[in-house]
Amino acid sequence: MLLSQVMGDACTRSSIKVVVGAQHGLAQRSGSISAHVRIGDAYSPLIAYGTADLIIAMDATEALRYVEYLKQGGTVVMNSRMMHPPLETAPIVKNRQEKLTYVTLEQVKEQLGKVAGRVIDIDAEKVAAEAGNPRTENVVLLGAASALSGFPIQSEPLKESVRRVVPERAVDANLKAFILGQQMV
Amino acid sequence: MLCNEAVARAVLESDAKVTAFYPGSPTSEILDTLYLLSADYPDLKMEISSNEKVALETVAGASMAGVRSFTSMKSVGLNVASDTFYTLGYTGVNGGCVLLVADDPHAHSSQSEQDGRFFAPTGHVPMLEPSTPQEAYEMARYAFDLSERHKILTVIRTTTRVNHQYAPVEVGEVKRTPFQKRNWRDVKRPYFTLSETARRLKGEALEKLMKIEAEFDSSPFNKIVNGEGRIGVITSGVSYLHTMDAADALSVKPHILKLGTTHPLPKKLIVDFITKLDTVLIVEELLPYLEQSIKAIAKDADCGLKILGKESGHLGYVGEYNVAVVSKALSSVYGVNSPIDYEAVLAKAVELKSVIPKRLPVFCAGCPHRGTLWALQQAIKGTDYVLNNDIGCYSMLQLEPYNLTDMMICMGAGQGISSGMQHVVNDRVIALIGDSTLFHAGLPALVNAVHNGHNYTLFILDNSVTAMTGQQPNPGSDFGPNKVTEIDIEAVVKGIGVKNVTKIDAFDPKPNVETMKKAISQEGVNVVISVGPCALWNDRKKRAAKITIIPNKVGKETCKSIYACVRDFYCPAIQLDMETRQTAIQTDICNGCMVCAKLCPVSAISSTGGA
Repeated sequence: MLLSQVMGDACTRSSIKVVVGAQHGLAQRSGSISAHVRIGDAYSPLIAYGTADLIIAMDATEALRYVEYLKQGGTVVMNSRMMHPPLETAPIVKNRQEKLTYVTLEQVKEQLGKVAGRVIDIDAEKVAAEAGNPRTENVVLLGAASALSGFPIQSEPLKESVRRVVPERAVDANLKAFILGQQMV
Repeated sequence: MLCNEAVARAVLESDAKVTAFYPGSPTSEILDTLYLLSADYPDLKMEISSNEKVALETVAGASMAGVRSFTSMKSVGLNVASDTFYTLGYTGVNGGCVLLVADDPHAHSSQSEQDGRFFAPTGHVPMLEPSTPQEAYEMARYAFDLSERHKILTVIRTTTRVNHQYAPVEVGEVKRTPFQKRNWRDVKRPYFTLSETARRLKGEALEKLMKIEAEFDSSPFNKIVNGEGRIGVITSGVSYLHTMDAADALSVKPHILKLGTTHPLPKKLIVDFITKLDTVLIVEELLPYLEQSIKAIAKDADCGLKILGKESGHLGYVGEYNVAVVSKALSSVYGVNSPIDYEAVLAKAVELKSVIPKRLPVFCAGCPHRGTLWALQQAIKGTDYVLNNDIGCYSMLQLEPYNLTDMMICMGAGQGISSGMQHVVNDRVIALIGDSTLFHAGLPALVNAVHNGHNYTLFILDNSVTAMTGQQPNPGSDFGPNKVTEIDIEAVVKGIGVKNVTKIDAFDPKPNVETMKKAISQEGVNVVISVGPCALWNDRKKRAAKITIIPNKVGKETCKSIYACVRDFYCPAIQLDMETRQTAIQTDICNGCMVCAKLCPVSAISSTGGA
């Protein structure tokens, strides 16, 4: 949600047309949540299936969850961290003799590779810790995405929007996270 | 700007003086924004009401006394307020009085896909429907003016995908006037209906609507996008945006009439539009409101038009639309193929996704409900019961992995349904309700149950705020946009006459099991109040007060992989270490509520990692 706000704000201040379809409500209770950012000439707040240029995912599992939106050959920038939901843990615990396992990063990457042209996974948790604030994982990923060739928003307006959107006490760490993220690509 | 923020901005610019709300997705951010703003504008009265009916009455009363006023609610909220709404359609208002009602196609955060558009024609009030944040802002500004000129309540109808759209919005200036008290004698006119008065007022309302229809025929909110050929589309709201993208993707150019004033419909404008066409596709989510109206208009105009939409099978009645849905309908009308086979893309995605688990919404780390519901699951083991749930975060009890709800209808229904069931079933009848929902619609049912001597156990889950919609205050909260009096739930329940009332600590689950068992087994109306603050709200409060949140850790030496911290508990901060198969706590998610530590039989969990 924060990233879509940052990108929307940066587009507006760079005079680039933008519409963001956000999600609030029930999904915010540790459920899966997505925002669609449409930059340029677009009307609908929702991206059409098979047409997204880029997916930025805070969790590798979530990149795959929305793969229907990605265009063939599109790019994925994702956190290598995977938060395994209670619903994935419960059957492992209940059927312990079966030695079930969680889905792995490699499995997710393999599936994504069947649509994506490029999958970039970043240990954003580690980079965020380096930036001095573990809550900056999302901005690490935004920094990485902004370093891709063809990314439509310049770094400076993005950084300015980060400054405007995040709480004042977290600005420095977020800007550092952005720069460290850029260096990951 | 978020669409909901743009609406709040319009309310401020329109110099509305009294606003009142009960929160509900997808409208809650209107309330949240005005809550924040009201601190800076002492001439703006902003209240959080106990329910939508009271909110509508509050703003209607202010309007009758001569000032501009505003409320917003979700469509099922207008059901609650509808008794008041329908009579206001007869009496009219005085100061500009605007009601925003938001539908939730797809039932993202609602119990139904109700189509709120039908309120306007049946309530004899005008309705505007925006597509974008800019339009929502402009329509809200206009709605105050329209309402005031015609002395008629004015409805703005949105849907989730409109409310939750962010886009640049060009706004005007905020020029507030001082709040002036007035004398009733200066603004006085009758606001009551009965018999002959009711019939007269209904006639007057319909006359007003005829004048408004003439105004709508030339309204800039109805827009024609000229295309080619004899095929057209009539649409409104977010469906217009999907249509524009779908037409572009298919490289077809239908004539498009985008309606912004959807009651009364601008008949003259519609007739002018359709007489130039052979075929028109009606694109609207939910019920065929426009479709059936336009069929009637076309029949009167006798223009031999072919009207396609839901009733022809081109579009569906269920779920929300998107570019793929509209594209399918348009490609069928034009007999062209879509450059992207959306169904194939979706089918491939479903296959690719088969390796990942579902990620359904769950109770947050540190949520008081998790402890309460862990205890409840233990307390009902071996008992035949029926569990009647209600609307709030605890509604999630119906989802996997709990699957623990027999009934959930609407705000406050859990108790009324329990009253009916206890007459019939042999089982123990259990009802759940949150603090906010209790104040909203639960109290009349509790009065009824005590008065009629019913048998059920009511669990009141008191987390101090209206948590699901964004942790807004409710009558039980000790804070709010104004100086508030905190209503004591225990005193209210006892005051109603409930004999068996127990208060428990949500974060101490083990001893609560026996308390719950006792309550469930007793005859009469039993109330258990489980108290613990909402984690999202409380953590925010702690961070603001610079109180460090200390997460828990699992001791590698002490953990014996018993999984008592997982079973029936399901905290999103707890997952397994696949190498050791021990549990591991994600310290950036854990809020240190200590409940899992209390459940661990070998004391493997603490802030330092084990005993």
